[in-house]
Amino acid sequence: MAGKRAAKHDEGQAAGEVATVVLPADCRIAAQAALQAELAQALQGGAIELDGSQVERVDTAALQLLVLLRRALDGCSGTLAWRGSSAALNDAAGLLGLARILELPAVGPA
Amino acid sequence: MAAVDLTQFHKTFFEESLEGLDAMEAALLALDSGSTDHELVHTIFRAAHSIKGGAATFGFADVAAFTHVAESLLEEVRSERRVVDAALTDLLLRSVDCMRAMLDRTAQGLPAADATSESLRVELAQLVEGEVAAVAVASKPKSAAVAGWDIRFVAMPHLLQTGNEPLRLFRELQQLGRLEVLRAFITDAAPAEFAAIDPGQCYLGWELRLHGAVARADLDAVFEWLDGDCELAITALAAPQEAAAPAPVPAAAAPAVAASTAVPAAAPAGAREGSASGPADGGSIRVGIDKVDALIDMMGELVITQSMLNDIGTNFDVSQLERLREGLAQLERNTRELQDSVMRIRMLPIGSVFNRFPRLVRDLERKLGKQVRLELQGEQTELDKTVLEKIGDPMVHLVRNAIDHGLEVPEQRRAAGKPETGTLTLDAHHEGGNIVVRISDDGAGLNRERILAKAVERGLVPAGQQLSDDEVAELIFQPGFSTAAVATDLSGRGVGMDVVRRNVRDLGGTVGVKSVAGKGSVFTIALPLTLAIIDGLVTAVGEERYIVPLISIVESLRLGADTVRRIAGGGEVFQFRGEYLPIIRLHRAFGCTDAIAEIERGIVVVVEDEGQRVGLLVDELLGQQQAVIKSLEKHYERVQGVSGATIVSDGSVALIVDVGGVVRLGRRVKAA
Amino acid sequence: MAKILAVDDSTSMRGMVAFTLRGAGHEVTEAENGQLALDAASASAFDLVLADVNMPVMDGISMVRALRARPEYQGVPILMLTTESNTEKKMEGKAAGATGWLVKPFDPEQLLATVKRVLG
Repeated sequence: MAGKRAAKHDEGQAAGEVATVVLPADCRIAAQAALQAELAQALQGGAIELDGSQVERVDTAALQLLVLLRRALDGCSGTLAWRGSSAALNDAAGLLGLARILELPAVGPA
Repeated sequence: MAAVDLTQFHKTFFEESLEGLDAMEAALLALDSGSTDHELVHTIFRAAHSIKGGAATFGFADVAAFTHVAESLLEEVRSERRVVDAALTDLLLRSVDCMRAMLDRTAQGLPAADATSESLRVELAQLVEGEVAAVAVASKPKSAAVAGWDIRFVAMPHLLQTGNEPLRLFRELQQLGRLEVLRAFITDAAPAEFAAIDPGQCYLGWELRLHGAVARADLDAVFEWLDGDCELAITALAAPQEAAAPAPVPAAAAPAVAASTAVPAAAPAGAREGSASGPADGGSIRVGIDKVDALIDMMGELVITQSMLNDIGTNFDVSQLERLREGLAQLERNTRELQDSVMRIRMLPIGSVFNRFPRLVRDLERKLGKQVRLELQGEQTELDKTVLEKIGDPMVHLVRNAIDHGLEVPEQRRAAGKPETGTLTLDAHHEGGNIVVRISDDGAGLNRERILAKAVERGLVPAGQQLSDDEVAELIFQPGFSTAAVATDLSGRGVGMDVVRRNVRDLGGTVGVKSVAGKGSVFTIALPLTLAIIDGLVTAVGEERYIVPLISIVESLRLGADTVRRIAGGGEVFQFRGEYLPIIRLHRAFGCTDAIAEIERGIVVVVEDEGQRVGLLVDELLGQQQAVIKSLEKHYERVQGVSGATIVSDGSVALIVDVGGVVRLGRRVKAA
Repeated sequence: MAKILAVDDSTSMRGMVAFTLRGAGHEVTEAENGQLALDAASASAFDLVLADVNMPVMDGISMVRALRARPEYQGVPILMLTTESNTEKKMEGKAAGATGWLVKPFDPEQLLATVKRVLG
């Protein structure tokens, strides 16, 4: 797998700290189980920052996972922020009408 | 992109289809003889199915139409809606023959269908349950003018597991018109807990609006593969104004329709042209990867040897003589192995020829009211492709002969205390440098009295002459000999055993028979592994070298001057095993100078062809060698008494003696 | 351009498919039956699999089922090349996890159009 995924949060991270999760370059269905595990852990802190700048290939499974993350964060009054997002990620989210839910940067209202 | 030329695949298609038909025939025969192996039915179905698919793809409509009906019938067999009985097997075997003929005609660029195929097709079609429905393409109703479509698309959880990616579907929709996502939502199927989600499942739904005068059929095509993978509701948006919408509809729809119908129509036309213009068969061969790998291995070793010799050559001194010898020995070994490997490329298992016989035997059984069990042995034995292609006909003749004349009818067998079912065995194996094929039956054996009587009647032997069993057996190979009391339409086709022998001889082989009265006969065909190489005896005649094929040599001997007799007309004969043989002085026959003229100082090589023997006078024997035959006709011109040329070990050219040719020369000497 | 696995026991059909796809710039691996296709799919990753239905050793339907059981082939498009115009076979293929189908006979243009459609 080309993309490296570096979770820059600490294991026993305290509430209120922002956990950053980097989305892999090949962010398709086969990568989602690992991403889900990482996001589930980051979710415990309640604040997540996603770095989607490296994403080259993405599919519905990935965007769906992010939408479900958004819902989970809403459920616990958490926050989602973006450190960056690639054109591929923006295009796919836009096409599926999910850009607004995901609050992706540099994308107009879907 | 440029149109893809499909004609290049036609030859492969014909080859594999004929193979498929062979497999189909073999499986039908196995079913017919009582096998219940269901895999046989699959094999039969698969063969018809592949031919149909290929024929349709490559534009052979007649073949496709015929196989389509056959396949439909076979589908009923496969799904156990129809049982295989003798009548059905017969019909299917006839269909196999018909398909073969249709493929042959197609390959020659002729129309595939004829009266026979048409009537058979009708016969098959009538059997097929509920009649084979012609593939009726329902004309698509013209779509009413619409301004667009509202689409509610809710994925079922397994959608992503089918590879149907919504992103792809949405992109396709975008090609049709402007796509607007009104709403995207998470379905109730999604677990509430983030960690409990299965990321391989799909929990999304969309409400979409597609703007534009899009045909409903085009929209349906996008979702064609998703039946059962999603909930789909499509409703048309009413056209807001008549002026804008209706006009673009035909304009937009027309090119798409034209493209999809024009393309398949054009392709078969091109294909037919190709096949008509190019039935020329350069001949191809399918080679197992293992053989190619062996060749590459061999090549690798040769390269290593070459570089080793190169190394010795650049800094040579006498101390390296031993290494040079080793290197040369290695080179010789490599070369021989390489030669073997190259030859093996042309080698194919004889099984492909054997496989014709179950069908032939079955047909003959029915026709002659005999019971025959066919045993095949050594199907994996390989022989040269050219030999393989030509050995079929002589074998067919011998098998026909064995069943027609050799094996008895059940009553006779019972009376003779034998099982009612006769056994016919085809067996192939390697023996020395030859392939030996045996056709044995446990029938009555050759009828010595009848053969002798016929031979006398035909003037082949004088009446009252004492002949051994082997000599009597030899008589059946004489031209024009036929022993059938009543000429059946099987063996009595005017093709005698002499033709069989000639065909085998043309392949450099021999054919003979051993027979025991009441026990049966064994016909043995011995063939060279290849036509390209012979084992020969190198002889010296003056300055020239002549190679005599080992297979023809009976014996070599030195004659005393007093053992040679001169006969009227200048011929010379000598006594050999109680028979006077003419001597052919090769130096005289081929006009060599400086050769030994005194018979007692030279060597006489006794050779045999078609039962006739002669002695060839040469100076001396130089040893045995495998000779790669080079055609003289191709490089020079045909020469009487010479079958080809080769290069001998010292690098000079040697001519290969055509034993048949010189024996005919000898007969003239004897007759004179 | 995509890496495509073409599976068909018919040499001529497989040849036609591979030739056409290579001509369009794709990298094509050929396999003669389902079992060999599974072996090839283990050796490298493919973006698309095109498979005949009726094949000896292992048929196309069993092959699809086996491929879908592998995590790395969950979402990979697999198209059945089928002469079966009846929906029964298509549905059997779909139930095994096939993405869709291409009905024989097809010509090179139809093949390329379908492949383009699936690869997006």
